[in-house]
Amino acid sequence: MVSPTVALPVTPSRRAQLSIRLVDVVGRLAAGTTALVPVESPAEIEVVDTWCRGTGNSVLAVHPDAVEVYRGRLSDLDATLPPDRMPGRRLWLYTNFHCNLACDYCCVSSSPHADPRVLDVDTVTTLVAQARDMGATELFVTGGEPLMHPSIAEVLVACTAAAPTVMLTNAMLFRGARLRALESMPRESLTLQVSLDSATPGLHDQHRGAGTWARAVEGIRTARTMGFEVRIAMTIAHRNSDLEAQVARFTGSLGIPSEQLVVRYIAQEGEATTGIRLTRATLVPEVCVTAEGVWWHPVGATDPAMRVSSELLPLGPSIEAIREEYLDYRRRGDVLAASFPCA
Amino acid sequence: MDTLDTLVVGAVAYTANVVPIWEGIREYFADSAVPMDFVLYSNYERQVDALMAGHVDVAWNTNLAYLRTVGLTNGGCRALAMRDTDLTFRTVLVAREGSGLKGLESVRGTRVALGSKDSGQARILPTKFLADAGITFADVSPVIFDSDVGKHGDTGRSELDALQAVLGDEADVAALGITTWQQLQQAGELGVEEVWTSPDYCHCNFTALSSLDEDRAEAWTSHLLAMDWDVPEHRRILELEGLRQWVRPQLEGYRSLEDAMREQEIPLTW
Repeated sequence: MVSPTVALPVTPSRRAQLSIRLVDVVGRLAAGTTALVPVESPAEIEVVDTWCRGTGNSVLAVHPDAVEVYRGRLSDLDATLPPDRMPGRRLWLYTNFHCNLACDYCCVSSSPHADPRVLDVDTVTTLVAQARDMGATELFVTGGEPLMHPSIAEVLVACTAAAPTVMLTNAMLFRGARLRALESMPRESLTLQVSLDSATPGLHDQHRGAGTWARAVEGIRTARTMGFEVRIAMTIAHRNSDLEAQVARFTGSLGIPSEQLVVRYIAQEGEATTGIRLTRATLVPEVCVTAEGVWWHPVGATDPAMRVSSELLPLGPSIEAIREEYLDYRRRGDVLAASFPCA
Repeated sequence: MDTLDTLVVGAVAYTANVVPIWEGIREYFADSAVPMDFVLYSNYERQVDALMAGHVDVAWNTNLAYLRTVGLTNGGCRALAMRDTDLTFRTVLVAREGSGLKGLESVRGTRVALGSKDSGQARILPTKFLADAGITFADVSPVIFDSDVGKHGDTGRSELDALQAVLGDEADVAALGITTWQQLQQAGELGVEEVWTSPDYCHCNFTALSSLDEDRAEAWTSHLLAMDWDVPEHRRILELEGLRQWVRPQLEGYRSLEDAMREQEIPLTW
């Protein structure tokens, strides 16, 4: 909790004063709330930390002249998140950023003209192995359009060998060599997630380009005919139960059950100038890797504020950093919730 | 499972922390045979009044509040349960390191800092222990801190004041409850040492009037005693309340305070 420091020892009388203050101040706190305890040297921080550990309390933060003490024990991440939401359980890979489409809400500004920023197969192979060692059980391959990656078949072989994989695609490039590459993929460990924003061409084509809806639906049918599990991702501005029900009915008619429909709301990232504003503090992380680094969440994979590290490998330290930062937000959120009464 | 009427427990709000503690205990009882609710009082005198008036079924009492209830009801009450830590409460007399003070007799002639008049551990019992050793207020210079009267010493405020007096050379000896002393020591070497430690005595308990239905009382007590340190949700509450296990009462541990109240003519209420 506290960094080791070299400092003059705290005299017993000063330690006694600190101890009296701690017993007094922390004793009056409610569990889950905090108080600042002034300190005059790094060695005094150690005294506070020692006292907290001995009395079942916690150091929440160390400031230049005070220690923020939390009444009670801080929960660890295992206790605050269900296992399937643990940062690192999912790993997102932006295999490339170029795309055959230029959607007006794309959170990473992909387009035919975007710098491809390709993740090579060797890097992907190492990343997924390290992620699996850190507890990853689901992989997500996205872009750009992943099928424009020059070695997408090898990428998917590496991924599916490590963990069940979902590839996000617009389903418009299922032909030629790409179709053959797809045909070679194991059906049991690869799911295709196809973007479809509406039950009719209107809204989908408005965001993604004329004629794209019809080709996406054709691609969905092709993928299902090939034996792939297909899920649908619908991206809309905000919650709209009528629109969502229409898409659910339509995809049902294609043989895709409603539990395989994922609804996403537009975030203010990339090309989108409106939508949900996201920050690291308000977004449960899902570890994401691009050719440019490790990111808090795939929705912000070009947002400098969302970049956790510019080093892709080793992946472990970045996952640990994300977990620690997220736990800190959770603790502070609990403290804020406890100290922000409505009346 | 048949559910008995909700049992209402009174407790004193001596710190903001009692709210999460009692909410946690209430939650623990929610699915039991006897659900419980709680009412908070600002001091133990109001709580004892409320118990006597039947506003609450059970009161979480200090040793002084329990003995006052015993006196006011002429024994028409009973203790249901205690913390394991309530069985072995002690008073510690401390002085600055190197003072040369050791043992009760060495306290004679010194400046003795004592806590609130309603604190068993910081005032009433140390006064008795000194008196039992033949040391009265005439033989020492008492330095009295009547802080937080009404809380029966629960806040520890008067004990901290007493220790501060020793550190500031305004007193030679301070009387502290064992829990305050143990908490202080968690910071490391304080330059303060023990002069004398008292025999064990009992501290808090859940007190009910004898009129409380036996089945309800036993069902509630049994469920309380089933709280388990190894269950994380239970442990959180046990840690906040300062115990590892709830236990059945051992009333002989109140004898010394009972004697002290009689000897010092401490009234049953004020």
